[in-house]
Amino acid sequence: MSTLDDRPASPAVGEAQPANPGGVAALTQSPVAIRLGAILLLAVGLTLLQLPGRAFWQGFVINLGIFMILVLSLNLASGFTGVFSLGHIGFMALGAYGSAILTLPLAKKADYLPNLPAWLAAVHFDFYLGPFPLGFLLATLLAAGLVAGVALLVGLVLMRLSGHFVAVATLGFLVIVRVILFNADNFTRGSRTFSNVTPYTGLWWVWCWAILTLYVVWRLKYSAYGRAMFAQREDSLAAQAIGLAILPPRLLAFVVSAFFTAVAGSLYAHFITSFSPTVFYFDLTFRVITMLIVGGLGSVSGSVLGTVAIMALAEALRRLEDVTLLYGMSQITLAVILIVIIIYRPNGLLGRREIVLARLFRKGGEPSP
Amino acid sequence: MKTKFFIPVVMLIVSLLLLSCGRATPTPSTSGSDTSGEAASSEPIKIGGGFALTGEESALDLPAANGAKLAAKEINAAGGVLGRPVDLIVHDSQYKMDVTAQIAKQFVEEDGVVAVIGFTDTDSVLAAGPTIQAAGLPFITAGATSPKIPTQVGDEMFLACFGATVQAAAGAEYGFNNFGPNAYLLWDKGVEYTTLLGGYFKDRFTELGGTIVLEDQYDDEATDFSAQIAKIKALPEQPDFYFISAMPYNVGPVIKQFRDAGLTGPIVGGDGYDTPDLLSVAGPAAENVFFTTHALMDATGGTEGIKKFIADYNKEYGHDPENAFAALGYDTMNLISDAITRAGSTDAAAIKKAIEETKDYAGITGSISFGDSHIPQKGVTIIAVKDGAFTLGAEVVPEKVPAP
Repeated sequence: MSTLDDRPASPAVGEAQPANPGGVAALTQSPVAIRLGAILLLAVGLTLLQLPGRAFWQGFVINLGIFMILVLSLNLASGFTGVFSLGHIGFMALGAYGSAILTLPLAKKADYLPNLPAWLAAVHFDFYLGPFPLGFLLATLLAAGLVAGVALLVGLVLMRLSGHFVAVATLGFLVIVRVILFNADNFTRGSRTFSNVTPYTGLWWVWCWAILTLYVVWRLKYSAYGRAMFAQREDSLAAQAIGLAILPPRLLAFVVSAFFTAVAGSLYAHFITSFSPTVFYFDLTFRVITMLIVGGLGSVSGSVLGTVAIMALAEALRRLEDVTLLYGMSQITLAVILIVIIIYRPNGLLGRREIVLARLFRKGGEPSP
Repeated sequence: MKTKFFIPVVMLIVSLLLLSCGRATPTPSTSGSDTSGEAASSEPIKIGGGFALTGEESALDLPAANGAKLAAKEINAAGGVLGRPVDLIVHDSQYKMDVTAQIAKQFVEEDGVVAVIGFTDTDSVLAAGPTIQAAGLPFITAGATSPKIPTQVGDEMFLACFGATVQAAAGAEYGFNNFGPNAYLLWDKGVEYTTLLGGYFKDRFTELGGTIVLEDQYDDEATDFSAQIAKIKALPEQPDFYFISAMPYNVGPVIKQFRDAGLTGPIVGGDGYDTPDLLSVAGPAAENVFFTTHALMDATGGTEGIKKFIADYNKEYGHDPENAFAALGYDTMNLISDAITRAGSTDAAAIKKAIEETKDYAGITGSISFGDSHIPQKGVTIIAVKDGAFTLGAEVVPEKVPAP
């Protein structure tokens, strides 16, 4: 699984930079300042996107954020631990349906889901706190919490497996979720499209969640838990020999990852506003895995880079199709790029390494001492 | 070390983004002048065409898109609409719902279209619909037959095809009158279209006084129907006919397996059967199969309009239309251009009003009128498979249609 190119992650490079004295130079050397600057830059960008007539690029950036959450959380479950999950889109589907059912206003609920059990039919998280849709936040948290609970039960069984077995078993989970969604008509409308979901999801929602996911995954990577995940990924025997249990770090990664995947599902549901169980299947699974592999399994900044690269490439190729009229070329080109990357950079663009923002500045600005 | 790969990658992404933005920027100026009147007479009238040209739905969307493009070409050859050429801007939704939602925004914001046509499935229409509705542009779906779509999307939403209620009622009445009052019902529970069709069939058939002796379902994309067949064989008496609500990719296998098991009675179905696969996969087993669809796509047995359409389509694309969705795409494009002509302007509200006032528009898939409903009252074509070919069974308008 691990290859020659894998080198031990050099953790905390970002944090360990010694602060240099003096003015602007100090700012570009301080990791905290750089990170705040990056977030500020993002906030300015998002604000500019709110101007009228930019709905298309708003939608693009919202999709980008949703996929970033999906890729980051899949990286946590699969990249960090080496336990490859093909079933994460199942968590996304549960999150989407959970939050959509919870937020549906009472009138629509009676109309669309007349056979809901009484205790659920009376629940409607569609209330606001001033202009803030508090109900949406609670519904997302509740749905994601439930999904995390499901992940705990599933993980207790599946995280004991390794290698190909776990990939097949998680794929089985995805199939089971799909079958349940199709057959639980009273809750999900079965095969019929679940529509008229309130469109809460906006730029700020998605990117606040994305930044939170990024932060949690990043902190986990350099925590004792994260090191335990990487240790058992590299050599489970050696990890056990130094007294690390295998199951707890894997389970932690799986559950946290399922939580954020479900959040992404909720955001997706309230962005697309209508969906059916067919949406959450192989197509989405492979899109997310492509982004993860292109970025690099185990690299947090790689996940960000992989998502941005594939989304931008897919969008550019899609527009190229409208000019060349060769519909389908974009998917073929993406597949070819994936093959080329697997051949020449089998660990993705970044492998397990990280982009350190502070270092970029040092390189571009004055040479560091 | 780290920056060595980072910088080229970032440059690549930025240049790709610039490439895609670059195409986007010049359009707002044209959309502004669109509504200002007929002064810019050579300016094309832009119509958005959203289709899943790739992905699972492409078997239906690709012919529909080709039909629409052919219609646009013919309209332009005949001098265009209001003296201006029409420009059918097609985007591929890839049958991905996030991309579908995005291309709806692209039509509205970047392309500056005056109306949108397209799609043959409910999911895609519902993903694209809200954006187009919010922009106040008319949206006519070529082939999504769910009768609930107009209430789900809003007052800008129209269907160019009949609703599932209509064809289910037509199938139920045809089966009841021709074969008898005892039916077997089987549907694909994994797809909205087949579920609705099966449900509406049952509504109308029992209302007629018929009895469903056994109802059963199967998973979408199933390949083995022996469990369902075993249950039918266990029946004390065989039903008068079998109503099977199936997707195009399931139609061939399910019919073949029914016949192989010795179930020879008439099989009735919906427009999912309208695929060349029915004849090529089921072969001789397809005899005694009847289905409701939009038009008989046959160069000899069809109506004059269909014959001309097939000839033109063949000339344009080098092969006959794959199914009736090609004709639906063609009709949808012509319907919108007819509405723009009658509206006398490219103002979205005027076009919408003109579509609502459409009366007895002679499309090749039947005469189209919109009454109070945004679903047209259209005749249903019933096709009978005889001697390995589709032949015209009947042209019917159902006596009563179940409520959606």
